[in-house]
Parts: sequence; C-alpha cells; structure tokens
Amino acid sequence: MLKIRNLLKVYGNYHAVDGLDMDIEDGALYGFVGPNGAGKTTTIKIISGLLCPDGGTVEIDGMDALANPSQMKEKIGYVPDYFGVYDNLKVWEYMEFFASCYGMEGLNARRRSQTLLEQVGLEDKMDFFVDGLSRGMKQRLCLARALLHEPVLLILDEPAAGLDPRTRLEFRETVRELNKQGMTVLLSSHLLSDLAELCTDVGIIDSGKMLMAGGVEEIIEKIHISKPVIITVYRNMPAAMSVLKEHPLVRSISVKGQEIMVQFVGSERQESGLLTCLVEAGVQVKSFMREPGNLEAVFMQLTSHEKERVVLSYDRESDL
Amino acid sequence: MTGNPIYKREMTVSSRSFRLALVLLVFNGILALVALLNMYSTLVQVRVTAEIQYTSFLDLYIFVAVLEFVMLIFIMPAITAGAISGERERQTLDLMLSTKMTAAQIVLGKLMAALSTMTVLIISSFPILALVFVYGGVTVKDIGMLLICYGAAALFVGSLGICCSAVFRKTTFSTVVSYTFVGIIVIGTYGINQLALFFSRVPGGAYLASASTEVASGSSGGFLYLLLLNPTTTFVMTMLRLAGREQISGRIVSWFGSHGESFISKNWVSCSVALQVLMAAMLIWAAVKAVTPGRK
Repeated sequence: MLKIRNLLKVYGNYHAVDGLDMDIEDGALYGFVGPNGAGKTTTIKIISGLLCPDGGTVEIDGMDALANPSQMKEKIGYVPDYFGVYDNLKVWEYMEFFASCYGMEGLNARRRSQTLLEQVGLEDKMDFFVDGLSRGMKQRLCLARALLHEPVLLILDEPAAGLDPRTRLEFRETVRELNKQGMTVLLSSHLLSDLAELCTDVGIIDSGKMLMAGGVEEIIEKIHISKPVIITVYRNMPAAMSVLKEHPLVRSISVKGQEIMVQFVGSERQESGLLTCLVEAGVQVKSFMREPGNLEAVFMQLTSHEKERVVLSYDRESDL
Repeated sequence: MTGNPIYKREMTVSSRSFRLALVLLVFNGILALVALLNMYSTLVQVRVTAEIQYTSFLDLYIFVAVLEFVMLIFIMPAITAGAISGERERQTLDLMLSTKMTAAQIVLGKLMAALSTMTVLIISSFPILALVFVYGGVTVKDIGMLLICYGAAALFVGSLGICCSAVFRKTTFSTVVSYTFVGIIVIGTYGINQLALFFSRVPGGAYLASASTEVASGSSGGFLYLLLLNPTTTFVMTMLRLAGREQISGRIVSWFGSHGESFISKNWVSCSVALQVLMAAMLIWAAVKAVTPGRK
C-alpha cells in the first residue's frame, strides 16, 4: 500500500527526516512510533501531500505520490493531531463542505455524510454547531470527515492526544473496526503502549530515521534476543566463565558478584542448550533467566540517546 | 465560481452572522439619513428662494459615491487580510489542502466571498443612490463607470489583503501590512508626487523630475504615472468627469504641475483600471504560490 524509500526533509542544517524507509502492506494497521520531534508528523505531512520532501520516493497503491499529488489525495484520508473546525458551522454543514472539497455534491454528499456520522456515533449531533462538540466528538467528526471520499489509506497523526481514557478506548475500537473492514491504517503516536495492542505492524522512528520496523510479533522476538540472559551461579564460577567465553552465541559477559549477565543471541531452544552446557561443565546454577522484553522497553532503549556501557571483557570487570 | 466550496461555505457563514446585517443597517442608515436631510434642505430652500438647486442632488450622489469608496478601501483589507491566515490559525488550511481542493481554488473562493460581501453593501445602497435619478443629472453610463471603478479598486485592494494573508501567518500582522500597503498606494503615491513637485520647483531639485521622459519644469515628472496604481485617483477622475469639471481639474496632466499629454493621460481611467486588474492578478498568483504546499 505504502512504500517510502530514502525520504529526506531538511530545514537548514536540521534533518527532520533522514533517509527514512517504510513499507505498509495492504490491510495493515501500522503503528508509527517515535518520541516528540522524531519526524513522524513531517513524514505524515509528506505522505499527505502537505509538504514537499528534499529527496526520496513515496509510492501509494503503486502510484508515485509525489508526481501525482492530486490523484494521491483521493487515496488518502488524513486526520491531523488537531481538530480544525469552524465556528458557525453545523456538523452536517461541516461534513457537506468537506464532501464538496472532494467533488461530492447534493444528495450523494448528504447520504455519505449521514452514513459516516452514524458510523462514528454522531448521528444525533448533526444539527449541533461543531464548535460546541466535546473533544472526543470532534475527533470522531474529523475521522468521519477523513473517510468521506472512501480513501484506501487512513492516516491518523496522534489521534489519541488529549482524549480521556474512555474516549481513547472508543476511538481505538473505531479504528480497529475500520481496519477489520479492510482499510489500511497508519497511526502515529509517541506512546508505544497506545499502539502495542492495536497494531499489526510497528515502525519506530527517531531523529528522522527508522530504527526498527516489522510485525509486532517479529519485533517482540527481536526484543527478546536483545535482552540479556542473567545467570546466578551458586558454585564453580570459573567453569561457568569458561563455558560462556567459548560459546559461539555469547556476545558479551559482565559479572556482578555471583550474577553473570550474558548477551546471548540465540533462540529459546539455544538458551536451554546453554544451560545444559553449564550444568554438564559442573556449574551449579541457582537461576537462569532472560529478562522479559516488551515493546515499551525496546522503544525506550532504541530512542534513548545515552550510550549504554557494554562490558565486553570479563577479566576487566570481574575480580576473578 | 458559485460551485467553489470555500465560497459557498463563506456565504453560509456570513449570511448566518449578525455582523453583516448590522453593517448593512448602519451603512445604509447613514446614507439614507444624509440623503433625506439633503432632500429636506433642498425643499426648504425652494420654499425660501423659489428656485431648485439641482447641483445639490449631484452633491448627494457624489457624497454617497465617496462614502462607498472610502468604505470599500477600508473594509476590503479587513475582510481579506484574515482570509488565509485565519484558516491557518484555525488549523483548517491543511485540512483543505489535504482534499482535492487546489491552492488556487482556496484563494479565489476567499476573494470571491470578500467581493460578494462588498457587492452586497454597494447594491444595497443603490436605492439611495437612485434618488438622484428623480431629478436627473447622472446617466446609466456614469453609474457603470463608477461600478467599474469600484470593482477594480475592490479587486486590487482585496487581492492585496489576500496576498498578505497568504504570506504572513498571523492575521494581526497581515492586517497591519495590508493597511500599510493600502496607505502607501493611496497616500504614498500622492505624497511622492507632491515631493517631486516640490523638489522640481526648488533650484537644483530638477533631478527628481528627470525620471520623466518628458521633463517639464515645475512638475512631478514620471512620478505622475505612479498614480495609475492609486484607486483613489481613478475614482476622483470619474467623479470630476461626472461633475463636468474634466476640462479643468479632471485632466490628470494638470495635477502636480504641468505635464505633457500622452496616450495614458488621455485614457487614464481605462489604463488605471487595467493596471489595477493586472496587479490583482499578480497578487493572486503570489497568494496561490504562498498557499501551495511546498518546502516550508
């Protein structure tokens, strides 16, 4: 559905988007996550045709989006991180105004507006002035507006910002429902917890670069591997160190008292193999576990700008 | 143009607003009051002197026309200077640009809505203006000329406001800049001519007048043609022609010293209207460029 290659957006010396690649499959619910200022909104604005990039390509539904901005706009429904409403305009007038912006007029526009307002639960607010709606209702109205022209890709930029937990949950359900109906959704947030349960795929962006992308399961697997194995040795520490140093899947070792922290790049089966090796070498193991990984933790790790100290040499760190 | 969604929305909102009705009431109320007082004083004079001063009806027409023109020059920037920046401030501009609407449609829709509001004001005052037809003295051609003059001025000043609104992000700043430019065009061009005339009349000051190809001693020289941009000059010329004074002060060449006749001076109103429309087109183009999603 969406293919971005080497996207670049520069403001003076600042690279807002720096060689970003992104792939979204048809029917995916893609979570676009990154801290504030990571380049999410800039990327979304480029996809939506509101900003010209300084380099790279954007392909939507097989079409070069940058070369055909007008046709591209027919394929995209854009919900920004603000409401953008008019005073003095009623809900149905607001919908019909945007319907006419997409070339829909008369009965066709009215029917489509009515259907969408029913879909987002605003059918009883049609004669209300837009300005008088609550934040949650405005957000749902914006969603209905973005769906007027039946887009194939729905882009939601931080849609949950400023909503109370109940409204946020309802909004998530609406988005999930749209995705179930076959719509491809790109959802951005600076909170991974917002997207972890909802999305099928996740892309993590920081400083304009895509740090990690893929299916949620796939990313959790990567995270699992990235977490260290912690071994508490009851007796025979030298044998344990000897086994670990010679194991091909061990990348680094650090020791604190009887606890060994091992960067082990193997699967769960290979983890059990390592434990067997230790036991067979006469090491008395008190505990053997890998830290549980979650998306939030990897997000924090990936977007942290502080360098971690990795101890590569056992001899330097331990007193043994 | 009536199919333009922006225009339709602006019309819906303004027709619902109490402000437009109030402006119409106050504006036409003042005009009607002045017109009726004028008629009353003429009739009182008839009772005393037994003669009708027909020129007083012409004065009434000129008064109404001047008031409308002043209002047009003052109101148009106020309406248009917030047209695009207001959309930005409401955060609705990006929403419109994310639809199939083009930047040109947005700018033209806004301009047409502002011109429509102005047209409503002018047309609503026509019954008062028509009082002068009771006694004659003003032809349909004169009214047509006046409307062309109004149209060109409204288009020029409105486009200026729209352009400022598109270029500057804040409505307050855009309004200040719009009024500054209107001031430069209306008062500035006049002031430059006065200065040029003044310097041409002091010894050694003729260099300012040397900008003209037809150097005439004691004139503002080529600076006179700056007045082509000034809608007030065009309006005054139209009014003087109506008052039958075109042979004296109605000749532009007699303003700011003595100038030679040229094609432009002979067809001043037409040239000025054409130039104002051209300037308006350039300002609209600049506004469209500023609104089009780009590299900012």
